Amino acid sequence: MTSCAWVPLSELAHGRSGDKGDCINIGLVAHQREWLELLSAAVTPDLLREWFGDMLRGEVRVWELPGIGAINCLLEGALGGGGTTSLMLDAQGKAWGQSVLRLRVPVDISRARALGLSLNAASVDRFGEVPLD
Amino acid sequence: MPPGRVLTSKIERGHAAESYTARIGGAGGFWGDRVLEPVELLKHEKLDYIMFDYLAELTLSIMAKQRARNSETGWATDLVDWLSQGGLTELQAQGVKLVTNAGGANPESCARAVLEIARNNGWNNCKIAVVTGDDLLARLDFLFADGHHLSHMETEELLSETEATIIASNAYLGAGPIGAALEAGADLVITGRVADASMLVGCMLHKSGWAANAVELGLSRTEKIADWAPEGVTSPLDILAQWTVAGHLIECGSQVCGGNSSDWQTIPDLDDLALPVAEVGADGSVVITRALRGGGRVDRRIVAEQLIYEIGDPAAYITPDVVVDLRQVTLSDESHERVTVMGARGLSQPKDLKISGAVEAGWFAASSLLVSGPDSRARATLCDETLRGRLDCCEDLEIHSELVGTGITLPPGIAIQMVNREDPPEVLIRWAATSHDREEVIRFGREVAPLVLTGPGGVCGYGARARPRRQLRHWPSLLPRELVEPQVKVEILTVADLLRSTDRLEFIRSRTRRFVARLQVELEEREWTRPIARRIYGSDGENTKKREEEVAG
Repeated sequence: MTSCAWVPLSELAHGRSGDKGDCINIGLVAHQREWLELLSAAVTPDLLREWFGDMLRGEVRVWELPGIGAINCLLEGALGGGGTTSLMLDAQGKAWGQSVLRLRVPVDISRARALGLSLNAASVDRFGEVPLD
Repeated sequence: MPPGRVLTSKIERGHAAESYTARIGGAGGFWGDRVLEPVELLKHEKLDYIMFDYLAELTLSIMAKQRARNSETGWATDLVDWLSQGGLTELQAQGVKLVTNAGGANPESCARAVLEIARNNGWNNCKIAVVTGDDLLARLDFLFADGHHLSHMETEELLSETEATIIASNAYLGAGPIGAALEAGADLVITGRVADASMLVGCMLHKSGWAANAVELGLSRTEKIADWAPEGVTSPLDILAQWTVAGHLIECGSQVCGGNSSDWQTIPDLDDLALPVAEVGADGSVVITRALRGGGRVDRRIVAEQLIYEIGDPAAYITPDVVVDLRQVTLSDESHERVTVMGARGLSQPKDLKISGAVEAGWFAASSLLVSGPDSRARATLCDETLRGRLDCCEDLEIHSELVGTGITLPPGIAIQMVNREDPPEVLIRWAATSHDREEVIRFGREVAPLVLTGPGGVCGYGARARPRRQLRHWPSLLPRELVEPQVKVEILTVADLLRSTDRLEFIRSRTRRFVARLQVELEEREWTRPIARRIYGSDGENTKKREEEVAG
């Protein structure tokens, strides 16, 4: 798809994550409030399901907070029981808010340009191997 | 809306409710946070209130276990550490009110320990309000019998049918009892489980005259909090929503001042990170700032990260006081290190309270080893397979392995395509094991260190054998609030009460002494028990020798 480029999520947003029972909450705040449109289009439940795959034991939800230009992603049943029953080293899901920032997400090139998002780090492919001209 | 609502006398005396702005400090975010930082905050900032949230989801169940072993424990002892090292002196000198859930599973013992400090400081009229009624453990059988089965919010299992031992069950109380406690003149309010944000809301119920109004109108504590608002207050639910957001923003202490931030590279002086201050108005105005002495930063980006921290549906952020719609909340950098928060909407007061429970699960231990050398990943994998092979006979044992350094913090669905094909210079292999059979977990602990001598080359970094500990399983559920709130009690304790309880303690001690003395005589009357008596009373003590001579003589 030529109208789409992949940018590191960190170009688009910053974030923080934590636990809520057995769920991981990943909050992502667009650097500019107007970029919420790009952020919402990029980080969808489908993308999150693809990323987190086998870790998920329930629904994946994404909600918008338009006032601050943010989305809240909730991954249900992703902490292996949560609390002290989780066997994971990061049993509170605190790493994800930062670790996903390095992943590339798709943006519509013309919308990104119109909204002033830099495409300097953009690539044609999702692993950043072929830079966008 | 109850009839006959009047403005409180305090407000009639010329302080329009709207003009009140309280400065509320957020002293920390969990039991284990920096202990003495609140003292610095009190020394350098002019505050009206200071709040400290000590209770994470499972903290209370750990405290309940402590209390079961020793009836004077089961609360956050960090509190007395900072109160005895200058904190209480500051509270007294400046008239700052402290609200904290440090009471955990034993608010009364916590209050008595604080009163000991007050007595030592000569603050004899110090009033501590103890809020109880959140603890449902003793009432569970009655609740079950009445058909309230406390169904698990995520799995829908019934607590009434679980075979596991129930360790704790506590309702999240709201701001009402805190407001009432402050209105009753408390200098410190010590609670068990309350919703984190409600601590700030409770301060505002007091500061803005809502609690005084509730007293004047004779409202019971089970009335809706929005009905506490004096006449003339428009949109009380929105005001509650704004206060709740302010509470949510400072409940994790320095995490809203630049701690745990995506902007970590530009946050100044993390080594001296300041604590936050919320400036909150009776009209619902909210500004987040921080103690200006010390490191860190408060800006729109940092506050936004805290706003979305550990929330679910932003259209319904639920506390016992109000259901908040966060979607239209805006944050703006009002001036240097001051962020204005606007736009929280209050929808209603929830009908149910959240109950946080814990039941015993299996046994747990974790251990790790460092694996080095070329092909570190393959060596770590062999190590893992070897360990699992040696524990093959443990039928219930579940082992979770993570190869730290190979991309465990990348989402698993994409990590495999992203991670460098080259092996890292070293891999830390971390195992967590669980079983319902404690012996199996002990076995696991014993099998880790031997891998250093009996696994692939280059394995190092072993520690002591991991000891099994009980896993606690969190059990969130809902319960209609009318089954909890009538049981909530606010009791004011003073140093005088402490003396009374000390008298009681002294009485018990003296009885114990008399009992021991009688036992001693009885023991000594029987020759054959002398070795035992010696063991108990010491073999070379003057008295014992004398008594032995007497018996022999």
